[in-house]
Amino acid sequence: MFLKKYLSDIFSAVASLLKGMRMTGYYFTHRKEIITQNYPDNPELMKLPERFRGEVVMPHDENNEHACTGCTACELACPNATIKIITKFDISPDGKKKKALDTFIYHLELCTMCNLCVVACPTDAIKMAQNFEHSVFDRSKLTKKLNAPGSKIREGIE
Amino acid sequence: MFSLEGITKSIDRWLNSTFHPTLALLLEFLIVGLCAITLFAVLGLVLVLMERKVSAYMQIRRGPNRVGPGGSLQTVADTIKLTMKEGLTPDGADKFLFNLAPFVVLTVAMLVLAPIAFAKGFQLWDINIGVLYISAVSSVSIIGILMAGWASNNKYSLLGAMRSGAQIVSYELSAGLSIISMVVLTGSLQISDIIASQQNGWWIFKGHIPAIIAFVIFIIAVTAETNRAPFDLAEAESELTAGFHTEYSGMKFALFFLAEYVNIFIVCAIGATLFFGGWMPLHIGNWTGFNHIMDYIPSSIWFLGKTFFLIFLIMWFRWTFPRLRIDQLLNLEWKYLFPISMFNLLLITVMAIMGWHF
Amino acid sequence: MSASSVIFYVISGFILATALLAVTTKKIFRSAIWLLFSLIGVAGLYFWMQMEFIAAVQIIVYVGGIVVLIIFSIFLTQQSGNEMQKPSGIRTIFSILAVCIGFTLTYLLIRPYIFTPSSNTPMEVSVKNIGSQMLSTTEHGYVLPFEVVSILLLAAMIGCIVIAMKIKPEEK
Repeated sequence: MFLKKYLSDIFSAVASLLKGMRMTGYYFTHRKEIITQNYPDNPELMKLPERFRGEVVMPHDENNEHACTGCTACELACPNATIKIITKFDISPDGKKKKALDTFIYHLELCTMCNLCVVACPTDAIKMAQNFEHSVFDRSKLTKKLNAPGSKIREGIE
Repeated sequence: MFSLEGITKSIDRWLNSTFHPTLALLLEFLIVGLCAITLFAVLGLVLVLMERKVSAYMQIRRGPNRVGPGGSLQTVADTIKLTMKEGLTPDGADKFLFNLAPFVVLTVAMLVLAPIAFAKGFQLWDINIGVLYISAVSSVSIIGILMAGWASNNKYSLLGAMRSGAQIVSYELSAGLSIISMVVLTGSLQISDIIASQQNGWWIFKGHIPAIIAFVIFIIAVTAETNRAPFDLAEAESELTAGFHTEYSGMKFALFFLAEYVNIFIVCAIGATLFFGGWMPLHIGNWTGFNHIMDYIPSSIWFLGKTFFLIFLIMWFRWTFPRLRIDQLLNLEWKYLFPISMFNLLLITVMAIMGWHF
Repeated sequence: MSASSVIFYVISGFILATALLAVTTKKIFRSAIWLLFSLIGVAGLYFWMQMEFIAAVQIIVYVGGIVVLIIFSIFLTQQSGNEMQKPSGIRTIFSILAVCIGFTLTYLLIRPYIFTPSSNTPMEVSVKNIGSQMLSTTEHGYVLPFEVVSILLLAAMIGCIVIAMKIKPEEK
């Protein structure tokens, strides 16, 4: 009984080790499985995974319009005060005052790419971009203004 | 046809005809020493590169690919970097032993090189106790490791050295027993006799299943003896920073690193000699035609091919298996490898007496 | 003086010097290392005599076994890293005296024998001969010492296992 268990232990151990070796052997012989890329050599061939998060951006359309209402939901959602929103009051043609976005300040150096601001945004005004080459010589360059100069909110977004 | 034997013979003849015999002998010593050092350097460069490439491909990476074509000069660059680094000796260390230890380890590796047959008739010293000499001298290298661990005056180094010592002492047993089982089949300790006995087939084929078991035990035991993963508790990075060579830097570290890879080469060369017939080409029984074709491949290529196959096998282990815990390590040796190799030795002895092998 | 005798004197000098260092050094670990070099020197002497088998056994037993054991016991000893105190004067005198007496005794013992250099070529001891001699029951066979030693080692091994064995606590 003891001998049987001893031998079956050995055989199952050898079998499981061989299984592992088969896997690494497969990877060794199949170069097309390689998932790393020659980074600086092939900027055009490089493909990043879909869910990779590099920085927060605010997309603008061709009329230089964005979708941000300045509701500060993202600012409240941010766990480490990366986003600061400065609002202003626009006067609409019929004389009513309306809250609007003045400056969207984004501190890249504080951001952990947690995606909570994008989730919190009610109008899908911000999203995560895939740019990852963030190194600069001056730290103040990491503080970014996300809305383009002269941009305004798209019509019909409340 | 290319043969190393002819080259060495003609050099010997030329030296003896031009110089006084004693001077010729001294010159031959010098040449052999230079060749051994060159071999060490080349082995270090090639094996480290091979290890990095193999590990990269097994982990679905590319590995070094910047320096030279396909990264082939990466280890040269690494060596230049290491030689330019400062060789630091810690203040609390036993300075004499600290500086001596890497040389002890490397000298032992160099001594073990002597009886290895690299090709037909290309062997430094065909000593009549070849295999015993190898296992005797290689047991000295553990002293170098213990010395390094103690002299560093560092708890990690000391723990790493202790672990490494315990491991080498335990696994030497099963490695020795599997070597002895091949010696039983051959009836001689001399390397040239062992190779000659595989004229009509390698022992791993001629010795049936017991020889294969002996080979498996041998390869496990030597992986443990060279302190490589999955048996690398001695330098377990996550717990002991780097084990016995934590305090070493620059060229002294490089010597330890080099000795590790040279030791891998040596144990694989011994494995190739015992189980795969050293430089002996693949011969099958009495198939004269087939054997004749195989003889056309130079013997040095056979030897290096077999050795590098075994090195690749050991690297394959390293990059597949996770590290063992110390109790698992000792369990494996004393509860599995040692009894199995004892039983296997008995089986092989019976086989050799009854003449059941081919 | 031939090259062979030069090598002999070099090896002998090495053995004596390292042996002297082993007993005079103040650090216990260094002492073990010097002892190691002395034993390796003895193995070198055997190699010089072309007695390769004995040389290999010398290395396996003394270097691979005993010195490693000594080093391990040093590692496990407390305060083994400290330097030892200088021995007191009376101790030094008596130890020198003991050494002199031992040397004289050895010299007196070996003086009556005349060592003639043998002109025989060194014999080639094959492993086969050693093996059969070890197990031969004839007059100069070594089967009795061989068996006695193996029984001694077996007893030592069983003793170790008994000491190291953990006694399981009684089930309640």
